[in-house]
Amino acid sequence: MSEQVAFQHIEKKSLIGTRIKKPDAPAKAIGKTRYINDMVLPQMLYAKILHAGRPHAEIVSIDTSEAEKLAGVYAVITAKDVPDLKLGFVKDNAPLKGKVRCERDEVAAVAAESEAIAAAALKLIKVVYKDLPGVFSPEDGLKEGAPIIQERFPDNKSLRFEFKHGDLEQAEKDSDIILDDEFNVHYVTHCCMGTSCAIADFDHNGKLTIYSQTQYPYNYKMDLAPALGIDPGDIRVIQPPTGGSFGAKLDVYPFEPVAAILAQKTGRPVKILFDREEEFINSPTRQPAKMHVRTGCTKDGVLTFRSADVLMDNGAYTSWGPTVPVIMMRTVSGHYRVPVVDFKGQAVYTNNAYAGSFRGYGNVQMTYATAQHMDMLAEKLYDDYGLDPIAFRLKNAQESGEVTPQKSFLRECAFAECITTAADASDYVNKLKKYTAERATDDRYKRGIGLASSIHNAGGAKIHKSDGCGTMLKVDDYARVTVITGASEIGQGIDAVIAQIVSEELGVPVEHVTLVNNDSDLGPWDVGVHASRTTFIAGNGARRAAIKAKKQILAAAAKQANVTADELDLRGGYVVQDKDGAVVIKLDRMLRQMHFQPVPDVVMVSDYYEPNSEPEGKDHISDHSAAYSHAVHIAEVIVDTYTGEVKVEKVTMAQDVGRVINRMGLEAQMEGGLAFGLGFALSEEMLFEKGHLKNPSFRDYKVPTAPDMPELDIHFIESDCAEGPYGAKGIAELPTIVIAPAIANAVYNATGIRFFNPPMTPEKVAHAIWDKKRTAS
Amino acid sequence: MSVKTKLNFTLNSRPVNIEVPVDMTVLNLFRDFLDLKGTKYACGEGECGACTIEVDGKTINSCLMMAVDLQDRDVLTIEGLQKGNMLHPMQQAFVDHGAVQCGFCMPGMIIQANYLVKQNPSLTREEMKRGLEGNICRCTGYTKVLDAVAAVVGLKG
Amino acid sequence: MSDIKHYIAPTTLEQALETLALGRVTILSGGTDLTPQVSVGRRHFEDTLMNIRRIEGLSQISMQGDEIRIGGSATVSDIRYHDLIMKYAPLLCETASHFASEQIRNAASIGGNICNASPAGDMIIPLLVLGASVELASWTKGVVQTRRIPLDEFFTGPGKTLRNSNELLAAVIFKKPSADFVGFFRKSGPRPALEISTVSLGIGGEMKEGKFQHVRVAMGAVGPTPLRGRQTEAALEGQKLTRTIIDHAVLAAQQDASPIDDIRATKWYRNHLVAVFTEELLYNVCQN
Repeated sequence: MSEQVAFQHIEKKSLIGTRIKKPDAPAKAIGKTRYINDMVLPQMLYAKILHAGRPHAEIVSIDTSEAEKLAGVYAVITAKDVPDLKLGFVKDNAPLKGKVRCERDEVAAVAAESEAIAAAALKLIKVVYKDLPGVFSPEDGLKEGAPIIQERFPDNKSLRFEFKHGDLEQAEKDSDIILDDEFNVHYVTHCCMGTSCAIADFDHNGKLTIYSQTQYPYNYKMDLAPALGIDPGDIRVIQPPTGGSFGAKLDVYPFEPVAAILAQKTGRPVKILFDREEEFINSPTRQPAKMHVRTGCTKDGVLTFRSADVLMDNGAYTSWGPTVPVIMMRTVSGHYRVPVVDFKGQAVYTNNAYAGSFRGYGNVQMTYATAQHMDMLAEKLYDDYGLDPIAFRLKNAQESGEVTPQKSFLRECAFAECITTAADASDYVNKLKKYTAERATDDRYKRGIGLASSIHNAGGAKIHKSDGCGTMLKVDDYARVTVITGASEIGQGIDAVIAQIVSEELGVPVEHVTLVNNDSDLGPWDVGVHASRTTFIAGNGARRAAIKAKKQILAAAAKQANVTADELDLRGGYVVQDKDGAVVIKLDRMLRQMHFQPVPDVVMVSDYYEPNSEPEGKDHISDHSAAYSHAVHIAEVIVDTYTGEVKVEKVTMAQDVGRVINRMGLEAQMEGGLAFGLGFALSEEMLFEKGHLKNPSFRDYKVPTAPDMPELDIHFIESDCAEGPYGAKGIAELPTIVIAPAIANAVYNATGIRFFNPPMTPEKVAHAIWDKKRTAS
Repeated sequence: MSVKTKLNFTLNSRPVNIEVPVDMTVLNLFRDFLDLKGTKYACGEGECGACTIEVDGKTINSCLMMAVDLQDRDVLTIEGLQKGNMLHPMQQAFVDHGAVQCGFCMPGMIIQANYLVKQNPSLTREEMKRGLEGNICRCTGYTKVLDAVAAVVGLKG
Repeated sequence: MSDIKHYIAPTTLEQALETLALGRVTILSGGTDLTPQVSVGRRHFEDTLMNIRRIEGLSQISMQGDEIRIGGSATVSDIRYHDLIMKYAPLLCETASHFASEQIRNAASIGGNICNASPAGDMIIPLLVLGASVELASWTKGVVQTRRIPLDEFFTGPGKTLRNSNELLAAVIFKKPSADFVGFFRKSGPRPALEISTVSLGIGGEMKEGKFQHVRVAMGAVGPTPLRGRQTEAALEGQKLTRTIIDHAVLAAQQDASPIDDIRATKWYRNHLVAVFTEELLYNVCQN
């Protein structure tokens, strides 16, 4: 066999840009994959948490004696069992509470032989509460004499962020048009199909193994340890397959230390698994925000300034939610060329639910405002000064090499190409004019088209000291490759991308690459799967490691063949001549020869890739991502002006992806990301009444289903990012960010009504249309 | 404890004889007693389709069906679709078309898609959307799911 | 959750009714309402769980004389695809296709949907338009006794009906509609199905010589029970569907409806939809 191929020539074929199947898809498709939700450990107990179910109260007494007596109950814990254990962004949260500050507050927990027994035990716990007056809006939280939520913050003020650039007063004077509007972005939640779950298991040395859905296994240890009173080094994080994350698992939430504390107390593995109602009530949300946004522009269509004053409902505790201004201000200062910027963001404690991170992180909220303001300016400039709406956008779109006021360096910028590509593909301008003219007719169904865009970090975001990722790679005696990466897989497909990249570099089949990335005791550090960073950062890391391995192999082969290493290449499982692909030696044979010699030369390499970005910093002036990217969505809608139903018929998407790596995975991220934004725009909303969630079920919280999906026309713009792997940029959040304002702009085009308060539910749209007719007549 | 009853039914072409508490759902029986964890819990009220199985040729939400009602019935779960080590064409299509991301909803989605194509081998894309409206997926935006089903329809047509 | 002491899956109506007569029985049919209601604690199991899906003939759909009879345990899918229903009452098939999801349609029974007595129960609306009655069977004095109650008298409040605990909904029955019958159903929601109706509306009647006769109007989710729109019917009865008559009917429909605010919609929106749907369905009638 090897003799026959010895005369073969192997052509260089790149996998980059092709369609790679997800390696874990077959096991998932046949129902074989064991998700964390499916796991059962030997001797495992099941835990349930007693949630307060009231927004603000003192706990007068808790009597757990009856629960403790129930057969099958192993432990009952309350706040008195976990004094001084803290968690959260400003350590204002605790695994179990001595005072109730929101509906979800964890008051007690039970570990028992079965979920049913644990649930029965919860009913036997007698808690006497003394209800306190509550705060249910940030405005009320700021009022004189408002009830205090967190004793450490007597004015109820939580995090605050500011950024200023340029002379605002002068910019206002220079403006011919100034828009001034308040946008109010609502509560939504992730609705991961696999509900929240943790399994904790201590060994006899006091080391905790926690099976977790976390998106950041390494810093997770640092955050979890104080909530348990143990050393972070004594925590091992295992990430079994998880049923979605989307940002929901980027912090430690109380159920995780509760599982660990119960495991510590019982000496048994303890599993906590939420049911769907618990998931709705107790999961983080997207950060709601009231955004007072002002945008200025000259009559020539040049933006003069943008200011934003953002008020955020912090909820009762501080997770990632109220930190979203870090990204919001990048949108305010970087969504189009904005010379003068004034951003303020203030979070205020209330007795409502608290927010975590969520796909699009701050940018979903802010782009809903800025992209509508751009549309409003475009309309005014066209009506009053005859400026073409696309020309207006192109005039303000950044170009390669520009630097934003916050010092985001847009090295490779394809914003203009995104705009023209999407506008041309959808016949935007003609349709816009046609539908505007049709608005005055009596037709029940009105068509509309809307354009929106945004900018987002596409090369990580250096909000920690490091934004890096470690990779360890070995090539064994059979030319099978194992990659141990810090990067987490949550369904997004880094498994396919890394296998593809390693295969590209080492010339082995994709199926010969095994990825190990679910155990913090094995993997090197990574900051976590978030910020559209994993393909960029972990992809770079995997590529660099593979190149090191390749160099080592080629050096050995070159020595043997008596040529220089750069005359050789790895293709199709062989070492070949680079110029004509002539086979030199089979790769596995080469590897065995390297291995089994007096001074063994074994291929085991490592890499730690740190992007060339700068830490965010207190003043928010830094090139905090290694790349930035733009996307444009053009939504076409039909509005039933009687019922208010908005049907999104088609969306044209153009996004600067740097370069396509796995085309199939990339499309999948576009489609899935868009679906998230669609739900946010039209139907999803958590309805709170005095801190109480009124719709904790899929029956009343409406996520998009198959019939809701529009036709998609996706255009990838390849700007070739110098720092990205093969030129790629991070991509996963922009699809969620841009669609909602595109729909809002389209609904405006159809109806002449602006919706500053999503979601655009049928009732809201119908009422606005009815109201407009009433006032007109 | 509720009373138990004996139950005989066919599960993925094999007979099952088991005693179950009469207040147990099919989903709990499969997941907790028969170790068939491919069928997923995600809402428990028939809104999401993650627990979809086929009973006597029709798909139902196993979270809503009482196990006692399985008596004498013929059940197909995700574990019963493949032949030996060969994926069922619907499973293969989902893999090939990138319809699987986190994959949690996919067993239910695949069972439902397979049922739809069996009911109507020349299913249109609109009919697929309607037929899958009871299955929630949070990762894919459904597009690749529809592509996969369309590919299977194409194979048959 | 209470403990179940007995489980029975009778194969004959007599067996089922004898069991019911003993009392403390939970009836299991499709389970689509029962199971979630039990799991959230809104309902508790009685001592006996009785599965009625194995009763011979109880899911049959048939024509008896000039009546169409749908057995109580027929599923929504059974109805949706049944030749008889497609031929004589396509309105029911149309409604069935907008009922929940395919998986739920395959399990949910018509008897369950009616007896659950949700103000938003989708299948009830077209049955009201068809003038249906329910047949309740019981075991009295050693024999099967039945009584019929017109569906529009059956509901007494949310989740409440005239069915006694010893009675089983054996069938829902309606007179075969005449050849002149036209009927339409509309429910709200941007989705075709899988949506609890914010408002649902059905209108049907016979169109003879341009006049709309024997008109029945039914509304869901605009009162404590699904209801007949009596004032709307009066406004339409025997009339030609002119612009003026339709306007009158729309006003009357808003009189008939008495919706409330809840998390799914405000009173305003429900009233608004009643008006929109009434007009829309009457246009459909005109165009038919």
